[in-house]
Amino acid sequence: MLKAFPKDKLTAVLDTLAKQATLWVPSVVASVSRFAPYGPDREVQLGANTVMSPKEALFPATEKIYEYSAYGIDGEFTPVDPSVGPQILFGLRSCDMQGILCLDDVFLTRGYVDDYYAKKREEATLVTLGCVTPGPDCFCYAMGVNPAEHEASDAQLFDLGDAYGIVARTAKGEALVSALAAAGLLVESNKAPLPTGDFVLKVDAEGITEKLQHMFDHPLWDAFSRKCLNCGACAYICPTCHCFDISDKKRNAHCGVKIKCWDTCMYAEYALMAGGHNPRPSKKERVRQRFMHKLRYFPERYGKLQCTGCGRCIAKCPVNLEITDVIQQVREAKIDG
Amino acid sequence: MREINAKLTQEMGDLARDLLASGEVKGVFGWTKGSRWYLTPPVFITKPEEADQLCYDEFAVNNLTGLLLDFRDSQDKIAIFVKGCDSRGIVRLVQDNQLKRENVLVIGVPCPGMGDKGAVTDHRQAQELPLLAKCLECRYPNPVLADRTIGGVTVTTEPSAAPSGATAEAAKGRGVGSKQADRFAQVEAIEKMSPDERSAFWQAQNEKCIRCYACRNICPACNCRECIFDSDKKNWVNKAATPTDNAFFGITRAMHVAGRCVECGECERVCPMDIPIMAMNRKLIGDLNELFGPYDAGVKPEEKPPLGAFKLDDPEEFM
Ligand code: SF4
Ligand code: SF4
Ligand code: SF4
Ligand code: SF4
Repeated sequence: MLKAFPKDKLTAVLDTLAKQATLWVPSVVASVSRFAPYGPDREVQLGANTVMSPKEALFPATEKIYEYSAYGIDGEFTPVDPSVGPQILFGLRSCDMQGILCLDDVFLTRGYVDDYYAKKREEATLVTLGCVTPGPDCFCYAMGVNPAEHEASDAQLFDLGDAYGIVARTAKGEALVSALAAAGLLVESNKAPLPTGDFVLKVDAEGITEKLQHMFDHPLWDAFSRKCLNCGACAYICPTCHCFDISDKKRNAHCGVKIKCWDTCMYAEYALMAGGHNPRPSKKERVRQRFMHKLRYFPERYGKLQCTGCGRCIAKCPVNLEITDVIQQVREAKIDG
Repeated sequence: MREINAKLTQEMGDLARDLLASGEVKGVFGWTKGSRWYLTPPVFITKPEEADQLCYDEFAVNNLTGLLLDFRDSQDKIAIFVKGCDSRGIVRLVQDNQLKRENVLVIGVPCPGMGDKGAVTDHRQAQELPLLAKCLECRYPNPVLADRTIGGVTVTTEPSAAPSGATAEAAKGRGVGSKQADRFAQVEAIEKMSPDERSAFWQAQNEKCIRCYACRNICPACNCRECIFDSDKKNWVNKAATPTDNAFFGITRAMHVAGRCVECGECERVCPMDIPIMAMNRKLIGDLNELFGPYDAGVKPEEKPPLGAFKLDDPEEFM
């Protein structure tokens, strides 16, 4: 038996949750699907993956860190509170939950804790939803992610056909389920979750990290990079890409705001050093960095691929530089010696 | 359609193979078949035996001309396949002195009109797709310049000439150019909004922009060696993706391509956030037509862009 709420009670469920926290739901905002704060006019779209990944709730595109003013020797700075209050991320896919685990690795482990991420992560309750119909560009199964459920979320939803089953996994998840029970929204169901449908994209990433360890100088990178535009589309919509820059929004010569904002290894300026040297001078080095980071360096450091198979970059890359194709070609590539 | 595509693909491969084998060019930009039936992305080949990778069909939507910028400092001669709209990008790059005309071998292809992959409902099985808006509105379905052609396409700078060559019938049947008259419809609709509505409309768009610069990087008119948006060191712009800063980017981009935009529509097609970038470009094109007389950028290499030339008798209304 599963605790469940009928699909026609979804609005009541969301209204209940929205009273407790800022509730992020998948929705379409000005023709782009993304996670957005729930409100009376917000239409929830649980049927498909979103264009923008939910990382913006925990790692916003632009975030203030502190305000400063410096007149002569009188310097002053005011930190900005990283807290945004309790948040619930509702309807995350397994791929997006996996993306958050990658962000956790970078922002919370190995002795480097990013306070701005840590606070938001601590305040967030993550509710995943099992996938029934994979999108045309999805390939999470090949990245070690189970589309049906993710064990790292606080609560898991299952599509039961006419209802959503819900299972709490953590204390935060228990609290959320109790709140729904207290509102009289939960029933018992003995239905089985709908199975995940077939995937359109086929790829096998077995052994990719080891293979890449011998391919730093391979001519493939040149071939891939010829069509790449070095735009930031792939990185900015990716749930795992986490690079940022610390920059200023100056009010005048003396005062302003320090900001943390998304950046990407695809940009020429990204690796540019003071003095003008650029260790990644051309598209080739930048494209190599993107895929090496995801498929080799990240697994070497954190023990998991830095790609969750969400397929967003495949859907939106202007030149269709598909990570699945990269994986395929790397696996087939001949290595000298 | 399938037979025509196969023939054009064959012709394309043969020509590329010859050009590479003879050493006439060092590389060829074309299209190849992607992972799904509705994908025909760019490819760059450098060896005769790679010519089999080339493919042409109604999904070869990418304008490849911007990719030539990677060769602007090279003396290598590169061949490139161009549809009508793409060919104007070559004129753009040559006029802007980004490319030496003799360093590029332009091969014109006939265009059947490109399918809108946004309309795909079956990702496994091929289906008929509606045309992209830019193809319905197309006024230059034939290359405006080319050194070689395939598929019997006619090279012409005549505006609104009928589609020619092997795909001419297909193009007409599919509606290429059938909505030329609607080119400014979106601009007119936005101009009819009240100031508040218009402000809200653009505010919603500016909130979406993620500053990925895909629009800039695919554009043959955005060819500055250093773009001010790449660096915040000079403090003209900053990296914050706030609506105000995004508006500053969007307007600066549009103003910078004013009089030089070749209307290939690529900026809007590649925007991951679905921002109506062509509305801004078209607004400026409309204004320029009104102020300086009708002008289509990137058609005749010898014709100076209205904002790139000055005349002694220019009216100086602002003085
Ligand atoms: S891979 Fe595609 S989305 Fe990523 S930088 Fe290159 S062109 Fe842009
Ligand atoms: S690399 Fe692409 S498919 Fe992988 S997680 Fe990022 S956006 Fe998704
Ligand atoms: S492509 Fe779209 S989202 Fe990216 S910078 Fe241009 S307008 Fe902004
Ligand atoms: S601004 Fe857009 S339509 Fe104009 S040339 Fe550039 S990419 Fe093409």
